[in-house]
Amino acid sequence: MRILIVEDEPRLAANLARSLREASGYAVDIAPDGEQGSELGAQNEYDLIVLDLMLPKLPGDQVLRQLRAAEVRTPVLILTARDDKETAVAMLNAGADDYVAKPFDLGEFMARAKALIRRGKGQATPLLRLADLEINTLERRVSRGGREIVLTPMEYRVLEYMAHRPRVVVSKSELLEHLYDFNWEKFSNVIEVYISGLRRKLDDGQDPKLIHTLRGHGYSLREQA
Amino acid sequence: MPPEPHNYPGPAAVPEGAQPRISLSRRLIAGVWLSQLFLALALLGLGVFLTRRQLLAAFDTDLRSRAMAVAALVRYSERRPHNLKFDPTLLPPSRHRRLPNFYYVLKSGENHTDMARIAAYWPQVVLPVLNRARFMNLRLLHHNYRVIVLRRLPVLDKEANLPHPLPRLTIYYAAPLSPLLAQVENFALYIAVPSGLLLLLAAGLTVWGIRRGLGPLRGLAHEAAAISDRNWSFHPAPEAVATAELTPLIAALEAMLERLHGSFLRQRQFLSDAAHELKTPVTILKTTLQSLLQKPREADEYRQGMEQSLEDLDRLQALLERMLRLARVEQLSAPAAPRPAPVNLKATCAAAVARIAGWAATRGIQITQDDSDGFQVAAGADDLEQLWLNLLENAVKFTPEGGLIRISLQSPRPGWVRVSVEDTGPGIAACDLERIFDRFYRSEPSRDRQTGGFGLGLAIARGVAEAAGGKIYAQNRPTGGASLNVELPLS
Repeated sequence: MRILIVEDEPRLAANLARSLREASGYAVDIAPDGEQGSELGAQNEYDLIVLDLMLPKLPGDQVLRQLRAAEVRTPVLILTARDDKETAVAMLNAGADDYVAKPFDLGEFMARAKALIRRGKGQATPLLRLADLEINTLERRVSRGGREIVLTPMEYRVLEYMAHRPRVVVSKSELLEHLYDFNWEKFSNVIEVYISGLRRKLDDGQDPKLIHTLRGHGYSLREQA
Repeated sequence: MPPEPHNYPGPAAVPEGAQPRISLSRRLIAGVWLSQLFLALALLGLGVFLTRRQLLAAFDTDLRSRAMAVAALVRYSERRPHNLKFDPTLLPPSRHRRLPNFYYVLKSGENHTDMARIAAYWPQVVLPVLNRARFMNLRLLHHNYRVIVLRRLPVLDKEANLPHPLPRLTIYYAAPLSPLLAQVENFALYIAVPSGLLLLLAAGLTVWGIRRGLGPLRGLAHEAAAISDRNWSFHPAPEAVATAELTPLIAALEAMLERLHGSFLRQRQFLSDAAHELKTPVTILKTTLQSLLQKPREADEYRQGMEQSLEDLDRLQALLERMLRLARVEQLSAPAAPRPAPVNLKATCAAAVARIAGWAATRGIQITQDDSDGFQVAAGADDLEQLWLNLLENAVKFTPEGGLIRISLQSPRPGWVRVSVEDTGPGIAACDLERIFDRFYRSEPSRDRQTGGFGLGLAIARGVAEAAGGKIYAQNRPTGGASLNVELPLS
């Protein structure tokens, strides 16, 4: 998952990014002002945008309106120091999906962020299931047929992203886009390495096979070929 | 503050043991009623007095004509010598049912002393002292009588060959006063009874009228009692507004409410601004510590996190101190604040320049101060120093390296001094000229954050300037750069 944080207070942005990276293994980009936030949000495919309202150059509500006008459908979580109901209502009506009022609890922020990502992918619970494959996104544990499977962090991130969108064909570039932030080098062939790793750990000796390669299109997590 | 701000004690509630209350309406009613009573009594007295005098005059006239009638009964005898005789058969009857009229007829000769009684019907043996009075009141037979004395009356009977000198008559005639007194009493009764009834009616009318007249006052009190920290609207009823006596009270109430409401709003705004400003630093601290605790870490990471938190706490502390200073300075602007002793303006400017010179020097900025002296202003020296320091800080912040800042003192008009801080920075956007003095206002938040500002320095400056009875305003210099000016009244 790849997340954009639009926040001008560098300490706060760094804390949120660290939490998202460490606890959930998400890729995080930070935009320090509204203009950059609007630009990045429109350019890249994010799974969640965290948006502060008080921003230099372009205020948060303008960023939100620009993104929605550009048909960016990514869920948006608003950070605000104003906890009056009017602001919340206005933001939700302008296309925001949720908001947290400062000073917030990091745990609450994380839970809301994950819930928005989940909802953005059409999933209702943090427990993802496909056939006998079970992914607990809260504890980041994977099991198949009741047997626990140990994955590397990157393998997990690839699987989690695909599991959020079961039966959909996910291209290699989409995976790259959603798994890496600007802090990471991008190599298209690393995706193949992670996929083959996942296939070995999940599908070897199992039936049905869950990870499918559609040559020229990408990968898909599903029961039948 | 009471837990329920709506339940302010009404105007009727007076604490136990307080001074006894006086009732305005009772006082008014008592005053009006007493004056009415006094008026009625005075009218009654005057009426009785005048009536009595009138009746007495009539009584006296009647008495006189009766005495004359008695005199007419004195005749000369037919035979010589012509002695005087009295014929009582034609005496005028008494007006009183039981009490008779009395008479005493004397003949006087050449001198007054030789007197001879002609006729008498008088209850007492000895006549009272007969002085020169014409009328007098006597007690005869235990009743009040009025006596008329007619002296030196001629005998009306004309005869030929009358002796010489002609005899003269002196007549005493007494009639009981009781009919007169009864008449006066009747009169008094006729006046007093309706007066009393009218007085009762008037008292009732007074009570009703005063209750009704004080209605607007009660309405006003009711309206005023409805004011609370949630309901500041004060709309006295039209009848209260139209009442001349209540106009000063309403005006005073309205003015007081406006001041209170303004101060209340300022306090609330300050509180809300302060809470808003505190939220972000608190969030940073909290998320830093929470993310540190998310998983076990190396000692270095903890150390780094704690150092960061300490830095954030320092910033938070600085913000709090500035907010408290602003709150104190704004409190000083209250009209009730005592006026401090005058201080020398130049000295406070020099102190502020000295405090900021170090920072300015690291940025290659030069600060000059002109030599004008002799300006004395009534304000706290520390506050004034802070004022200049905040203006200079702002100037240093916005002046590029190697720039110039000038602080100067002039007198724009008699009795005033103007302190100007001019810089060679980029100037102030026209839309910000007014707003830079608002608290927590930052023209460029991210930039200000890097320079460690909270958007409070110029608000504190304005607070100090206004507390000293002056004003503060910003201008762009025609030659470039900004100029922040403070005008203060000289002491």
